[in-house]
Amino acid sequence: MAPIDSIGGLEAYRRKLAEAAEAKADMPTVLVCFGTGCQANGAGPVAEAFRKVIDEQGLKLDVNLGIKTTGCHGYCENGPLVAIRPQDILYLKVKPEDVPEIVEETIKGGRTVERLVYRDKATDEVVARYSEIPFYKHQHRIALRHIGSIDPTDIDDYILAGGYAGLAKALAMDPEEIVSEVERSGLRGRGGAGFPAGTKWRSCLAVESDVRYVLCNGDEGDPGAFMDRSIMEGDPHSVIEGMIIGAFALGSHQGYIYVRDEYPLAVKNLSIALEAAREKGLLGENILGSGFSFDIKISRGGGAFVCGESSALMRSVAGEVGEPRAKYIRSVEKGLYDKPTVLNNVETWANVPEIILKGADWYASMGTEGSKGTKVFSLVGKVNNTGLVEVPMGISIRELVENIGGGVLGGKKFKAVQTGGPSGGCIPERLADLPIDFDSLTEAGSMMGSGGIIVMDEETCMVDVARYFTNFLVDESCGKCTPCRDGLPRILDLLTDITEGRGGEEHVALLEELCDLLTWGALCGLGTSAANPVLSTIKYFRDEYDAHIRDKKCPAGVCKALITYSIDPEACTGCRLCAKNCPQECITGKRKEAHVIDTSKCIKCGVCKDVCTFDAVRIS
Amino acid sequence: MEKVNVTIDGRTFEAVKDKCVLEVAHENGIYIPSLCYNSEVTSSGGSCRVCLVEAHQGGRMRLVTACNYPVRKGLEVKTDTPLVRRIRRGVLELLMARVPDSEVIREMAAAEGLTEVRFREDTGENERYKCIACALCTNVCAEVVGVYAISMINRGADKKPATPYLKPSDVCIGCGACAYACPTGAITLKEKDGVRRIWGKDFPMVRCSVCGTPYIPEAQVDWIVKRTGKDRSFFDKCPDHR
Repeated sequence: MAPIDSIGGLEAYRRKLAEAAEAKADMPTVLVCFGTGCQANGAGPVAEAFRKVIDEQGLKLDVNLGIKTTGCHGYCENGPLVAIRPQDILYLKVKPEDVPEIVEETIKGGRTVERLVYRDKATDEVVARYSEIPFYKHQHRIALRHIGSIDPTDIDDYILAGGYAGLAKALAMDPEEIVSEVERSGLRGRGGAGFPAGTKWRSCLAVESDVRYVLCNGDEGDPGAFMDRSIMEGDPHSVIEGMIIGAFALGSHQGYIYVRDEYPLAVKNLSIALEAAREKGLLGENILGSGFSFDIKISRGGGAFVCGESSALMRSVAGEVGEPRAKYIRSVEKGLYDKPTVLNNVETWANVPEIILKGADWYASMGTEGSKGTKVFSLVGKVNNTGLVEVPMGISIRELVENIGGGVLGGKKFKAVQTGGPSGGCIPERLADLPIDFDSLTEAGSMMGSGGIIVMDEETCMVDVARYFTNFLVDESCGKCTPCRDGLPRILDLLTDITEGRGGEEHVALLEELCDLLTWGALCGLGTSAANPVLSTIKYFRDEYDAHIRDKKCPAGVCKALITYSIDPEACTGCRLCAKNCPQECITGKRKEAHVIDTSKCIKCGVCKDVCTFDAVRIS
Repeated sequence: MEKVNVTIDGRTFEAVKDKCVLEVAHENGIYIPSLCYNSEVTSSGGSCRVCLVEAHQGGRMRLVTACNYPVRKGLEVKTDTPLVRRIRRGVLELLMARVPDSEVIREMAAAEGLTEVRFREDTGENERYKCIACALCTNVCAEVVGVYAISMINRGADKKPATPYLKPSDVCIGCGACAYACPTGAITLKEKDGVRRIWGKDFPMVRCSVCGTPYIPEAQVDWIVKRTGKDRSFFDKCPDHR
């Protein structure tokens, strides 16, 4: 079809799509999640099985069934996910062999297949309706508004869902007005630092230049964070629409989306979306007949963590080595190719169309005083329901973990959450009523970061956690500045000493000194925030450091050098299971008699504890 | 050129706007230690962190590297506060641990009263024994010489300058600018019997037709002739006998 050449034309096109959808409104629709997680769990064969059954039975049944492959629903742990409309049923962990039953029972018979629906681990309550599942019930989705309900490779789906209406509205606005709207909305950058997006746009606009760039940071690198990937894969048009609005407000004609190459599906879906937007006249020359032209290129990154840092990202886009530079001159003045540049994160851009469409007041009515709107978190770790959740800013850590996350796995004791990725910090359970927003997390010694929330239980050693994240940062340090390059390995040395029982009283003081050096002396955000995991664990879990150093004990039973495994003769039934599984063959004992571990040969792998069904293996 | 007033350690100077703090300080007799910065190389600086100073501006204080922080109106710099000394000592201690055999680092640290390192010292592979990975060598090669014979490879603690694939470079002209610029003398340049050896490659030298001293690699003459169009005979004599 010819490109849409006016705002009215877009609305007419949307009406046409709506009429066609209306006609099919009563037909059952099967939505198979095609996010990376569900695909890895086997969503492809499930979708194939649906197609096959429908092909075989289609005419005979006289049911016109649509199958859509959607982006990530966020509840990845339970994938492959299949949603059935119009009943609004969500089936979890669906296998191809379940498909005939779903077709027979639900699609043809209108009944629920109980064994495939959500079952609350605590109450055993069964919840079939998608929107009633606790994981979804407490969410408020803006950035994730379409994900899971549209096919990301079909631009019509996005337009039908109201897509590009924000752009249409923006094109009729004064650029200055758009910037004010974003400012008033209180939208802060979702990439981590939380810099107000409107302020950034305004300062870029104030710099005189004939060329400006609009960039999207899709270099999501925090271990455990995957909201940006989900958005790029599941709703790429929301990011593209946000960028076009930003470009129009700033007078930019070229944009770049920087995506790490480890996200092949994101690259693919973004490419399809860009091409479709161009064909529809929503991107490229003379957008919707407005006279405004703007195009977007995808820039694929090599996966260096530091390339998520703005100045390193810009160097990488320009084809140079991704190393940060001093930002004494801000990138809104001199950014990509030394031109004024606005760089925002994927989630930030995805929020922009809704803010323009529904207004700054609507957006600012959600969240807290300093942090407006909603935030997507990736809830992972020792929690029952893991996945992506979007909630209003200001929700407490406890609500997130208990209501949405369904509490700590296996009924264990909730100990702490680690927020903000490797440069974030650990917040103890006693502060779990803290509202999650940019400022309160920073105040508590952690940070929002990209929104990773890792739940930890009593079996997590906090010294080991600090060591783990430091190790990650040692690997990811670009090596440009001394404090980060040479300081982090020394911090890792000290932490390793402590976890291996060589820590002395002076170790903690030395750690604090090195952390101070990093915080003040490092060049970029990676280095200045790298001390957070260490400082926050020292601050809140000093007793664990002391136990490792003074008593040479790891209270959580994690640090191998400080623990020994033994079998409680009272609890052991002599079932031989541990002995059979021990890779060292160092467990002896006759059947039906208590077993013994030969600690001189034990490598502390923990297999015996994992396999024991009588909880007879002890760590001390 | 626009001039601005800048205060360093309580004294106020007039300086060219956007000039770096380090140069303004040095011009006015205020010493700030530095390693990775060379005033002739615009891409240098910002990496060693030895020149960190307090910058007070707009009611806000930051630690900034003097070598690339531009002087602007109303800037007040403090080079000798407890914070500056503490962080500088910390940086130097890390550098000492990295390159225990570097006299330059040891002397600079001694000036800050630092003689002992409390961390594990690097034993060092031979080639990065004194290297602090500041990239001044690669910046000089790219920006001043223009041959891009070396670049920084690896990342983190393993970052170091090297020729491509660690093989003798096809494009190196043996000029030695990298070695002369290196703040810690980490790049070995040896001359023997009219041959210069650097980055694992031998460069035959041109001998002065008057004194017979080998003084410039032939490859460097080729490069200069190609780049500037200067007559080759100009290089028959060394600078002392021209």
